[in-house]
Amino acid sequence: MITSLNITLNETRKGLIILWDYKFSLLMQLLGMGMVFTGILFFVGQGEFEQATLASSLLGFIVTFYAMETISNMSYALTAEAQAGTLEQIYMSPAPSSLIILGRSLSSLISATLQLVIIATVLLILFQINLPLRWEILPILLITLFGFIGFGYVIGGITLIFKQVGPSAEILRSMLLFINGTFLPVEYMPTWLKTFAQLLPSTQGILVMRRVALDGASLADVWADGTLVYLVAHSGLFLLLGLFIFGYCEQVARRQGTLGQY
Amino acid sequence: MPTSSKIHTAIQIDNLTKIYKPKSKQPLTAVNQLSLTIESGQVFGFLGANGAGKTTTIKMICGLIEPTDGHITLNGYAIKNRAQYMRQIGAVLEGTRNVYWRLSALENILYFGRLKGVPIREIRGRAETLLKELDLWERRDDKVRAFSRGMQQKVAIACALISDPPIILLDEPTLGLDVKAAHTVKQWIHQLAQERHKTVILTTHHLDMAQEVCQRVAIINKGKLITNQPTHELLNVFRKQFYEIRIRGDLNGIQSQFDGRMSINEDNGYIILTGEVKNTDELYQIIDLLKAHHIALVAVNPVEPKLEDIFINMIDSQEGTSS
Repeated sequence: MITSLNITLNETRKGLIILWDYKFSLLMQLLGMGMVFTGILFFVGQGEFEQATLASSLLGFIVTFYAMETISNMSYALTAEAQAGTLEQIYMSPAPSSLIILGRSLSSLISATLQLVIIATVLLILFQINLPLRWEILPILLITLFGFIGFGYVIGGITLIFKQVGPSAEILRSMLLFINGTFLPVEYMPTWLKTFAQLLPSTQGILVMRRVALDGASLADVWADGTLVYLVAHSGLFLLLGLFIFGYCEQVARRQGTLGQY
Repeated sequence: MPTSSKIHTAIQIDNLTKIYKPKSKQPLTAVNQLSLTIESGQVFGFLGANGAGKTTTIKMICGLIEPTDGHITLNGYAIKNRAQYMRQIGAVLEGTRNVYWRLSALENILYFGRLKGVPIREIRGRAETLLKELDLWERRDDKVRAFSRGMQQKVAIACALISDPPIILLDEPTLGLDVKAAHTVKQWIHQLAQERHKTVILTTHHLDMAQEVCQRVAIINKGKLITNQPTHELLNVFRKQFYEIRIRGDLNGIQSQFDGRMSINEDNGYIILTGEVKNTDELYQIIDLLKAHHIALVAVNPVEPKLEDIFINMIDSQEGTSS
């Protein structure tokens, strides 16, 4: 009997071994991400680092990093697996493919967490950012990550059919970084952009996390004002939609014979 | 559940059809009403030229491509019972690595073992046995990317075998391998069927290998099955029809009479005509023709046909018929 836990652990183990094998690239990637973060903050602060916005931006950056890792894992990494033929081998497992993809997503989120521990620690020390570490952040982050998993299913499904999704994934990554409120809170955006931003998988998570971590709101408070309710509904919808779209795309890929093509 | 009447049938394929319908292009029939019954414990050669429909068929058997029509059962299990169906097969597919380059040989085998539901307590033991049998044990912790093509192929075979599936599909397993590595794979295929009673489906362009290891061969052309019979029977049919005619001197300007019928080669001062001779009358006609041109006949011998000659002959005949 193949248990969900075994599949998840198997994918996580594989993901971490491969991640470790790319350690130099990973280090460079972390350095690059850190530079992008500080560079944008420098421009937003008009040549200065504003202590008031550093903690807020770092929280946004953490959530965005998870989302960007999910996109990479379900676009570039899945295409690479199609090229290597391992995707077809994965599909020949007796385990349901949606479970294997879930394992991949969790593996990607675990590796993103490890990277974030390093990069956030460096940034916290370097800029002496005062970020209150309240336990209430954790459930909100988990709910947000469920939405990312659903989002990952959508990207993964599209990748199964089209394969060359790299440029689109890059646009999506940039869009998340600049529109989801990481650097510019959505309240300051024009209505049309705000509406669009709130549809993205990371925007509401950032908003609720800031309310809890920086404004001192309790979970009951954010539930009462509806922001947490919106996040739960948003993430739940992404997860359901993701599973549906992934299943549909998988069926199309099997019909078109594109599972192993790239 | 499998029925007792199908206990010796490993693979049953009925009216399998695949039509691709690309947008803005004509529909393409890759496989056309293919029906096959493959007995368990045999090496089955599935042969065809490029684009004949072999890989599409193999991928439909693997559950990677959905047939337009028809159905497949593996040891009695249909694809709708996906978990059981997938437990019946292990495959090494053509043109790709099939394994992770960034994992070691052992890590790859353990990963695919867990993925295929091999019990955790058995997995290491099985991996060790496979690695030792494939002569990879000493290099089990090396990353696959550092391996030669032959060693990578061995790792892929080990990954396909880790769950001990009764059916193995090998799509061009010797492609890109050197002579020694190809020989090892060939020995393995033979062992899998003879000693472990596995059913092996082999697609290959190395027809000498197919002739050597396959108990039965099917030839597919343009998606249609053109023959499916035991290898020795197929060879026997053609054995009666292939002759080698050895002469001394030259052909005195009658070469054109043999164009497209027989091959003409030189061997130690002799000229050798080899090819299909349909009956005794035709053989006498050739001898009369040689005598009329004062060509010295040295010997006439029936020759052992090669699967390659038969393959080309059958494909050419079918193309001639269809055109």
